[in-house]
Amino acid sequence: MSFWLTVIRQVGRNLRQTWGSQLMTLLTVSLSVLIFAFFYLIYSNMLNLGDKLGDDLSLIVYLEDEPGPELQQQLTNKIRTFDEVESIRFVTRAEAYDRFAVQLGENSDVLNDMPKDFLPPSIEVIPMKNLRSLNQVKLFSSYLARLPGTLKVQYGQDWVERFYYFTRLLSIIVLLSGTLLILTTIFMVAYTIRLTILGRQAELELLRLVGATNNYIRTPFLLEGVLQGLLGSSFGIVSLYLLFQWIKLRFSGPGFLNLFEFAFFSPWVSLTIISISILLCTVGSFTTMQKFLRI
Amino acid sequence: MIELIKVSKAYSPDVIALQNISVSIDSGEMFFIIGMSGAGKTTLLKLLCSMELPSNGLIEIGGHPINQLKGHKLAKLRQKIGVAYQDFKLLTDRTTAENIAISMEVSYKKPQIIRKRVRDLLEQLGLSDKHDTITGELSRGEQQRVTLARAIANSPTMILVDEPTGNLDAVTTERVMKLLKKCNKAGATIVIATHDDSIYRHTTHRVMELRKGSIHSLSGGLSL
Ligand SMILES: Nc1ncnc2c1ncn2[C@@H]1O[C@H](COP(=O)(O)OP(=O)(O)OP(=O)(O)O)[C@@H](O)[C@H]1O
Ligand SMILES: [Mg+2]
Repeated sequence: MSFWLTVIRQVGRNLRQTWGSQLMTLLTVSLSVLIFAFFYLIYSNMLNLGDKLGDDLSLIVYLEDEPGPELQQQLTNKIRTFDEVESIRFVTRAEAYDRFAVQLGENSDVLNDMPKDFLPPSIEVIPMKNLRSLNQVKLFSSYLARLPGTLKVQYGQDWVERFYYFTRLLSIIVLLSGTLLILTTIFMVAYTIRLTILGRQAELELLRLVGATNNYIRTPFLLEGVLQGLLGSSFGIVSLYLLFQWIKLRFSGPGFLNLFEFAFFSPWVSLTIISISILLCTVGSFTTMQKFLRI
Repeated sequence: MIELIKVSKAYSPDVIALQNISVSIDSGEMFFIIGMSGAGKTTLLKLLCSMELPSNGLIEIGGHPINQLKGHKLAKLRQKIGVAYQDFKLLTDRTTAENIAISMEVSYKKPQIIRKRVRDLLEQLGLSDKHDTITGELSRGEQQRVTLARAIANSPTMILVDEPTGNLDAVTTERVMKLLKKCNKAGATIVIATHDDSIYRHTTHRVMELRKGSIHSLSGGLSL
């Protein structure tokens, strides 16, 4: 009880003594968390979007000849060796003709003069509905194109590729801003705590002489790091949330955001970001103490 | 309780502050170290509170050698030793009360106990009106008494005082000595380094005289 009282008094003293740089640190931590969380928010929403778009993804493999049951089995095995798939369906020439006729509707009479087997047989491959299959759809399609007896593979090449590159780019940005977050928090916290330590050399020296334990001297600095992390990251997350709400309000109505449900982090993710920031700040203060508070 | 066996201290090869000191000081004893300026009195006290390490020899407190103490154990030992430094080592930007409280805060005493003890001590040393004064603004004699108050505040079992009366008038000196004797009665071992003969002239306690780092004489001890 008196332990924590004493610790809190010390922390208060530290904060008063170097409040300028404390404030700077707090701001830097908030800003880094804000930047990181911003990109991560976009990224995670893109992943969701990818999941949804992936629902309509299918690859159509056009074949030279109608495969017999034996060959069908062989092709199925080949496809499954590449990856798990949701389903594989063989479409015969006749089925293709019927479908086409249905698609043409009342204009189907244009088909009257055509032979019933003018369309090639095909395989419809529906990949598993997750982002991984979306990302490797290109690989998958070139794999399928190399199977013997295939004419051509079709899927929504264009958007899938663009989407793929966009998420790749985003993931790189997320990584970069994450690194930035780690560096700034650790270094800024380490820097302010170093300032405090240097500004209080005389007192720390005396504390050691009158028998202050490591815990007594270090806990306030650790707590300072924890506070910086907690306040800084909460600030960052809250400002991102406000920004998010503002954008939602501002741009609601028909438009980009309504294409899909743009959602904020779950409380869990927010808590994780905050805990990680706290951890980083603690690491920052701990390393400084290892350097400047040798006892 | 305190054993020094063939203790020497050299600050650098050519500055030998203490040489071949062997003495035991009993628990609850009041012990004077006297000698001219530069004789090594302060150095001896610094060795006892393990602020400096001896170059040679053995120092034991309560049967435990203190040469190799580190970390938590050293901290715990220092909490039991109150030291009034010759150069005071006050935090000159803090108030008198805060300075005295430090030695109790490190052993996590309750705030109300600390407050009471601080007022008591200031009262006994005639400093009641300086409770909230920044120690940098006090006179040297006042600073000296604050240093002493800080040394004895946590009721240590061993009190080391370096030149406690250097800047004090006769009346205040009397006051300081009365307080130290009171601590001694309560059981604390007290080691006083001084060249103020008024405080040891008529004493019944042992007086050790240092000369150029060696024991010149060790007298008294009638009280034992
Ligand atoms: N940190 C140090 N580095 C080098 N020499 C030192 C140091 N401290 C003390 N000395 C030397 O050691 C010798 C003993 O010093 P000490 O301070 O113990 O004397 P003292 O008896 O306390 O003197 P005074 O009565 O003036 O306080 C002196 O010659 C001093 O110059
Ligand atoms: Mg001295």
